[in-house]
Amino acid sequence: MSVLSDIIVILLNGLQQGAIYVLLAVGLSIILGTLKFVNFAHGALYLVGTYAGLFVALSVPLSSGKLQEWGFSTFGLGWGFLAALLLVPLVVFVVGLAMERYLARSFYDRPDTDQILVTFGLAIVVQELFRTLFGSNSLPFTQPERILEFGSFAGIPVSGPVALPIVGNFPQWRLWVIGITAILVALVYLMVEYTDFGLVVRAGTRDAEMVRLLGIKITRPYIVVFGIGAALAGVAGVVGGPLNVVNPTIGTNILVPAFLTVVIGGVGSIAGAVVGGIVFGLTTAALVSLAPAWSQVGLYAIAAIVLLVRPQGILGDEEVAP
Amino acid sequence: MSQKETNRSASSDGGTVFGSSVIARWEHLRGQEGTVVALTAIFVALFPWLFARAPVVADFLQGYQDLATLILIWGIFAIGFDLLLGYTGLLSFGHAAFWGGSAYAAGIIAKNVIADPLVMVLTGTAFAVVLAWVLGFLSLRRGGIYFSILTLAFAQMFYYMAASPLAFLTNGENGLTGVHVDSLLGVVNLEADLPSIAGTLLGTGFYAFVGVFFVAAVAIAFRILNSPYGMVFRAIRENESRAEFVGLNVWRYKLMAFIISGAFAGVAGSLFAIHGAYVPLESLFWTQSGEIVIMTVLGGAGSMFGPILGVGVYLYIENIVSTLQALTLPGTSIVLIEDFGFYWHLLLGTVFVVVVWLAPDGLWGILGSIRRFIAQQLRRLVVFVTERLGGAN
Repeated sequence: MSVLSDIIVILLNGLQQGAIYVLLAVGLSIILGTLKFVNFAHGALYLVGTYAGLFVALSVPLSSGKLQEWGFSTFGLGWGFLAALLLVPLVVFVVGLAMERYLARSFYDRPDTDQILVTFGLAIVVQELFRTLFGSNSLPFTQPERILEFGSFAGIPVSGPVALPIVGNFPQWRLWVIGITAILVALVYLMVEYTDFGLVVRAGTRDAEMVRLLGIKITRPYIVVFGIGAALAGVAGVVGGPLNVVNPTIGTNILVPAFLTVVIGGVGSIAGAVVGGIVFGLTTAALVSLAPAWSQVGLYAIAAIVLLVRPQGILGDEEVAP
Repeated sequence: MSQKETNRSASSDGGTVFGSSVIARWEHLRGQEGTVVALTAIFVALFPWLFARAPVVADFLQGYQDLATLILIWGIFAIGFDLLLGYTGLLSFGHAAFWGGSAYAAGIIAKNVIADPLVMVLTGTAFAVVLAWVLGFLSLRRGGIYFSILTLAFAQMFYYMAASPLAFLTNGENGLTGVHVDSLLGVVNLEADLPSIAGTLLGTGFYAFVGVFFVAAVAIAFRILNSPYGMVFRAIRENESRAEFVGLNVWRYKLMAFIISGAFAGVAGSLFAIHGAYVPLESLFWTQSGEIVIMTVLGGAGSMFGPILGVGVYLYIENIVSTLQALTLPGTSIVLIEDFGFYWHLLLGTVFVVVVWLAPDGLWGILGSIRRFIAQQLRRLVVFVTERLGGAN
């Protein structure tokens, strides 16, 4: 019985860890697949999402950084977690629109390396900006207690343990992360596959010139795709924030696994990003409980093996893959 | 091309033969291997004195001997990195593996087998070459962005390997401490100052040791880049499929470029281990790859000396400008930015973005345009003056 419960706990933890990768990878993948733009600043969007989520949901004391020197002792509005979950994606969506309009667009016709370099530079600027404002110390992003609280309405508790069959007590918030991710990814998938908007986007991926000749203004779908990708990174920041430490380096640290997820899943494939994220999540969770020293190495070993066997990624299309 | 044309038109004009022939001769000499190596050697010989000890200049620069050594070490790294990024067009985010890996190899051999500096450099470089062959073989399976991501991923794997499963060898998160370095070939103590004039100019024996490698690195890179082999690298950068159609084995050349640049990084990494007698775990982290990318691009990828300039600027800002309390208007006490040193990384990042965006040739490219502008004006002046004199006769 205990072995079975261990396995289920590893599965659940793996899914939760994978969910963060999936949210980031789907965003990266649709931007890379449709716009052919390599966004090394995707981790920076995650960073913005995390801090924005903390700002809206909680109110925490500041212990270092310029903001504190300038006389701000606390940081945040304390509006609760639901507000963060609704507002932050909108904010990061707008950040994404601005990024497409004022930065990415002028790099579509330039070499891949220039795209990587400029977004890498941007990621550093964002990271250092946050380090300047908040210092290098971690901020306490506690798990939300309830969701949907309005005035006297107590809302639904989301933190603390929940009793599951076989497993026993399990941190409830982790299940919420899995659920929120599943819903969002399903929505993006449906939008890309079954709406007119998605049709234009997919057609644009294949042949942007033809879409333009048919009289469709392709720039608008492009900017929206970028915004959606950014918003997903923002959500990842909000839901992932309470599960990890919150400091200015989280953006650059999450970038490598997120990109690997895209590459091993197959570029441009939402299903691939989901599969890749789950594979990585499960690997990490299994190794953390079985061979902790190897937990990080395993991720890269899996990636190396997948790429040796299937260079185009697990669900990648051989023809489309460059 | 336009320069040469100007020269020719100037020399066809009877009055300016002398002035323009000197210019033309210099233009010719400037591209010669002997000139480049000699100038590099002179620079290496004068650099620490000008930087750390010369009257007035050194007071202004506020440099110190150790930083001069460090700049040369990173310079070797940057020359190798630029062979790959600037000339072959491959953006690797995994060079920390060669830099840190060779440093660890050199440090481990020194601790366990023999601590001769030359042996350390040879070991580190050999390790980097083998590693580059393996990682290049894996990463070059996919081109473009995938190459960047794969090099990044495989290098990260080594960081995590050194951090924990291999901690018995690498001392884990504390880094490889207590690396003792013997005298060179059992004779020359590298830490001591050199005697008489050499000591005034170069400072320590270790600087001279690094300087020899630096000059050799410049010479080798120059030789490679100006050979048919180096032309193939450039052809691959310009148009890979066309190079393939011409009949070149692009894959083999790319792998070779990767291995050569790994070897340069290996030399630099081993020297870094000797320099600090310590190898930090961070030397394997991917932000170190990012630093060499920033230095190279900031200085000017695709030029011989741009990356070295980038290294100098980066390390100077990191080590000296960052200690400044406030940025004042030169010669006055008017404070422009309070706590200036605190923002150095942020400012550097912003400058980097601007350079990538607007000046892909980097600082070296900007200097080159300025130099050409001044040269053109001077040439005009020479022509103008000699014409006037000729007219007076």
